[in-house]
Amino acid sequence: MTGSFTLVREGGLGIDAAVAHLRRGDPDALATLMARYQNRIYRYLLRLVHQPADAEDLFQQTWVRVAEKIQSFDTSRNFDAWLFTLARNLAFDHLRRTRPESLDEPVSADSPEDTRLSRLAASGPGPFEQLLTRERAGRLAMALENLPVRYREVLTLRFEEEMKIEEIAAVLSAPLSTVKSRLRRSLEQLRGALEQANPGEAWS
Amino acid sequence: MSGEHAEIRELLALFAAGALDAADESRVVLHLASCAECSAELERWQQISGGLRRLPTPQPSAALFERARVMATEQLMQHAARKRMRATFILLITFAWMVTLAGWPIFRFATGGFLSLLDIHFRQLWLLFVFFSAATWLAGGSAAVLLSLRRQQERRFA
Repeated sequence: MTGSFTLVREGGLGIDAAVAHLRRGDPDALATLMARYQNRIYRYLLRLVHQPADAEDLFQQTWVRVAEKIQSFDTSRNFDAWLFTLARNLAFDHLRRTRPESLDEPVSADSPEDTRLSRLAASGPGPFEQLLTRERAGRLAMALENLPVRYREVLTLRFEEEMKIEEIAAVLSAPLSTVKSRLRRSLEQLRGALEQANPGEAWS
Repeated sequence: MSGEHAEIRELLALFAAGALDAADESRVVLHLASCAECSAELERWQQISGGLRRLPTPQPSAALFERARVMATEQLMQHAARKRMRATFILLITFAWMVTLAGWPIFRFATGGFLSLLDIHFRQLWLLFVFFSAATWLAGGSAAVLLSLRRQQERRFA
């Protein structure tokens, strides 16, 4: 996911050397961090806002914000979580301005008639046996894209960014229980969407 | 369907996502050893989890990276320049105050000797001197604060 990097001591805590140098205003450290995080930040922003043009704009804003705010970065915190929080705030501000309805809390899938229970009751094959193939990955990406933004977000942070639940909670500023329930609901909704779109496909 | 079986089934999505705590994870592992139905269900969740992990990563173009790097570096430089300016400003103020406060005794000492500091007129002159100095620096300080507030506002609306 990320390359190896050295840790330095600052304020009694081990923090990344590039972060420490950036805090002292070193532009090379900024370029190093940008190179290290560019794919992850861009992917995260693209998952949130969909439109590449918007994601590109937010990508630039994120790094400008990093340069602006790095002095206020609390070195006792996780840099990844801090960076993703900056990107998230910018993306959500953008969505709030352009598509406020997309930020509405997703409807809970916990009602008795939800897709989960009907799915569990259903017998027969499902559509997931060859997700490795390009076609299925495409369908999965499309199903992901159609989920509410808060569900897409938690899925990309967990599976693509490979963040721990605690880190996701830090990025979202939400309790662990909220993150877990949102993750479960997002998986259930994603599975429901895949089954609905591909009802005839066999399970593995 | 036993209570335990139903409960475990509820946990399988998070188990496949690696998001359960150690206690729940152990419960699931124990149950899976004896439940083929849950094992099959877990496999489906793992296929989704695996699929999500393997989604292709969209990458920013080199041009975008460069644009962002230039903009962020500029911001970094501006921040450093502001910091330097602030430090210079503080240094100059400190120096000015030191000169102001030390100026009068030094002047008196140089012109009339140390004893003239105890001159009967000293106290009134000293007060006048302090008053004018304070008024001057207060005006200068207010101007600096107002200027900095205005700059902040300009940055906010920029």
